[in-house]
Amino acid sequence: MRPIIQYFLPISLVLSPFILSAQEAVLSGIVRDASTGKPLHGAVIITVNDSIGATSDLRGYYHLSLPRGTHRFAISYIGYQQQIATIELLQSHERNFELKPFANRMDEVLVSAKEKGESVDDPHMSTVHLAMKDIKDVPVLFGEKDLLKTIQLLPGVQSGGEGSTNFHVRGSDGGQNLILLDQATVYNASHLFGFFSIFNSDAIKDVQLYKGGIPAQFGGRISSVLDISMLDGNKKQFSGESGLGIIASRIKLEGPLTQDKSSFLFSARRSYADSFLKLAKSKDMDNNSLYFYDLNAKLSINLGKRTSLYLSGYHGKDNLKYSDLFHIAWGNSTATARLNHQFNDKISSNTSLIYSGFNYQAGVSSQQIDFQVASKIRNAHAKQDFSYYANANNTIRLGLGALAQSIKPANLSSDKNQSVNPTTIENQRGIDLGGYISHEWKPTTDLSLQYGVHVHDFIVLGKRTFYQFDKNGKPVSEKRDNSRIAKHYINLEPRISASLVLNEQSSLKVSYNRIVQNLHQLTNTTASLPTDQYVLSSPNIKPQRVDQAVLGYFRTFRNKQYNFSVEAYYKRLSNQIDVRNGATLQANTYFEGELLFGVGRAYGLEGYLRKNSGRLKGWISYTLSKSRRKFNGINEGKWFNARQDRTHDLAVVANYALSNSWTLSGTFVFNTGNAVTFPSGKYLINGKSIFYYTERNGYRMPDYHRLDLSVTYDPHTTNKRFHSSWTIGVYNAYNRKNAYTIDFREGKTNPNLTEAYKIVLFGIIPSVTWNFKF
Amino acid sequence: MDLDLNKAAARVVIDSQLSDASSVQRIRISHSVGFDDPINTSGIKGATVSVKDNENRLYSFQYEKDGYYIHRNFKPVAGRIYTLNVAVQKQQYSSSCQMPAYVAVDSTGISEKSLNGKTYFFATLTFKDPAKVANYYSYTLSINGGPFRFANAQSDQFNDGLKVTHYISDLETDLFSGDEVVVRRYCVDEKTYRYWNEYQNNNLSNAAPSNPKSNISNNALGYFSVASVKEYQLKIGQ
Repeated sequence: MRPIIQYFLPISLVLSPFILSAQEAVLSGIVRDASTGKPLHGAVIITVNDSIGATSDLRGYYHLSLPRGTHRFAISYIGYQQQIATIELLQSHERNFELKPFANRMDEVLVSAKEKGESVDDPHMSTVHLAMKDIKDVPVLFGEKDLLKTIQLLPGVQSGGEGSTNFHVRGSDGGQNLILLDQATVYNASHLFGFFSIFNSDAIKDVQLYKGGIPAQFGGRISSVLDISMLDGNKKQFSGESGLGIIASRIKLEGPLTQDKSSFLFSARRSYADSFLKLAKSKDMDNNSLYFYDLNAKLSINLGKRTSLYLSGYHGKDNLKYSDLFHIAWGNSTATARLNHQFNDKISSNTSLIYSGFNYQAGVSSQQIDFQVASKIRNAHAKQDFSYYANANNTIRLGLGALAQSIKPANLSSDKNQSVNPTTIENQRGIDLGGYISHEWKPTTDLSLQYGVHVHDFIVLGKRTFYQFDKNGKPVSEKRDNSRIAKHYINLEPRISASLVLNEQSSLKVSYNRIVQNLHQLTNTTASLPTDQYVLSSPNIKPQRVDQAVLGYFRTFRNKQYNFSVEAYYKRLSNQIDVRNGATLQANTYFEGELLFGVGRAYGLEGYLRKNSGRLKGWISYTLSKSRRKFNGINEGKWFNARQDRTHDLAVVANYALSNSWTLSGTFVFNTGNAVTFPSGKYLINGKSIFYYTERNGYRMPDYHRLDLSVTYDPHTTNKRFHSSWTIGVYNAYNRKNAYTIDFREGKTNPNLTEAYKIVLFGIIPSVTWNFKF
Repeated sequence: MDLDLNKAAARVVIDSQLSDASSVQRIRISHSVGFDDPINTSGIKGATVSVKDNENRLYSFQYEKDGYYIHRNFKPVAGRIYTLNVAVQKQQYSSSCQMPAYVAVDSTGISEKSLNGKTYFFATLTFKDPAKVANYYSYTLSINGGPFRFANAQSDQFNDGLKVTHYISDLETDLFSGDEVVVRRYCVDEKTYRYWNEYQNNNLSNAAPSNPKSNISNNALGYFSVASVKEYQLKIGQ
């Protein structure tokens, strides 16, 4: 194996030296919320005279190189009062700002946010930032606000099914999204078979979704990165917030540990048993014990002027029990420790130790059968990231990381009656050594570049048995590998994005990225089940890979009140995985023989128009797309539509402030039905009419459309300590009978004829939520 | 609801489940029909159908009616390898199968399961699975003298060598108190099991249903199986 450092050498040669000119000085510091002390991400600091500006990053940190002299600055952030400051800048200087929020949110009109990826001169593209505010204003099923349902309303992001939190980005599979909660991988983001996500909106600060042009610091999943940050606690004063909904109740407590220095945040959510399944008209589900809960906690500690420590964690669980016959429980846990240090006004460092895990146990017990299945997946990740802000036109980021991953596949155990043989499948273990370097560079005033590379050495650890299979999936040989390392998969992933400003309002952007994936999610069902199997790359399973190119046009209208973008993307997918029909994946030593490997391609056009301010806010997103796959052994080796292939996807999200207290929200979605396999013929065998299929995913589900509405009453009684609001919503307002699945059965009158029928999951569903703060 | 489905071109279907239940063996040759058409009941006439064993005994099947080709003096024996040869309009189809031995059933019964206030009945068959060999079972069921229809297919993947109970019910018709059922239990080879297992996996939750893989050459639909079989008569409890 060649050492990773070799890949870095050519890149470091490319980088030119960054010298701050003698006439310049640097102003840097942190922009915070004056009432909570929380850093503000995306605050704009700009010189009043010549409009030289910078935007604060996730930690509220900004950095600005200016000619020496006296400058007048305007500091602004959406929903906050603008501040004007005059600073004499004779040498590099640190200055923090605290902005006061407006008491009344109607005034947010005054400032428009400069969001990453959506602004005209930023090289990032295919990127959407959502603040919790955006998410809280979108009406949803059962009134349970959910960021994973909100991102499905963005261009290029599709819902995994009616009411589902699963999502597909640009024609990819659900298991190809990297979901990070404070940098920790979330393996299974769903509660209750996907109807809710594990992200309690109370505990989330903001969300960044990368669909393309993915920056070099991210890697590991080929389709997208959903980077979710947990909220920091209030450093100024103690406060609480609670909500009662029809599905779950929530409580959040936050406050200072040491005034202005450190804070805590704790939030919890628990569902009420099975109330929603009764509404779902599924009679089989009536007598269940069924609940989920989520716990989030975060500590933010200032260890001096330049150093901060963040400790955060999540734990959640689902439990479903079916009258002693069947039970299943699953859950995620994550823990993140991040030490942020500002060496000087140019160099900052983040050192992180991260753990995440997911496990499930399922069991069946009756008089004759009694067995348990259990599986566990875990990783521990250590990483070090540096940012070097050389000057206003050059920023370098680099980092190194080591991630140890282990999978304990589903094993069968039985303690009573011995009705099954206990089986133990060997654990899979791998280590991912990675590093990246990237350079954000503004060579001219019109051109911005971000380019870099991410390198992985994925090490398949040995001390286990590997098998070889013939083309029918039968094991032909087995070999015990006693060495420490069974195989290396080394991959170099170039990333580049660029923006060319055409005029003050518009720009062209282009990007390319390659990403590989070494953790694969296997699924052959339409439902989202926690029992989906994960596997690591192995001698048989090669890393999945994507090459994606994107071209986009961005523009703003009406003094940045409106953002508009259109993007065209093309993706080439390699080493894709599918499962043989009838395959048993669990407790099967030879499960790798049940896998089929193929290629894919996905392409599309996305349009996005967003209104950021005013009484009416919201967006329209439209996607025209295609996603195809090709596998030996499926569809006679010919190209076929991926299940998530849809031609049209439209979402309209609108929010209208009727008055200071009343807000009306609505969402309308329309999409072409998913590609689906229906029979084209039938024949009789052994008394059964058997369906004859001619093509994989050759048919379409009916078109899907739905309107959701909600109204929020929020009397902004800012003077009182106690504050409450009501939201009343209705899902599927015109009661559209969208088909969840279509099945076939023998005709009731003539069994020689066959009829199709559809299953509808949700008709019109009302909801009510009461939220209060104290 | 109405769906506009394509009409697939007809393919030859060979339904050949032979067994040692009697010395009369039936093989049905037909063709597939479009999804919205009535099932083909007349079958294909004029085919040549024969089965040969590995000791060179040749059994020629004679056409009777509705696509059935019948041999009235052929009782297969466990352990022998049988080869099917079918010619339909100059097209040759063939397959082979080694007949597994029967695994005796120790006890039968009726099991009741109450789910959601409703009682579901199952015929149960309890037996000792032979250890250290792969065993495959398939079941058909007749209710109150009706036709035998496929019920379910099982393997011993998770319970090899153990005392095992199989629960049998019809896939489409619930059993009621007072029903008389006949369970036909086939000990089948792996390919037959795979065929029926793929069939039973083509259910609602399957993201991509596909044709069960046939063990017959030349793209025929259906399968060829020679199995050991026994029947069990049961009455659902009052």
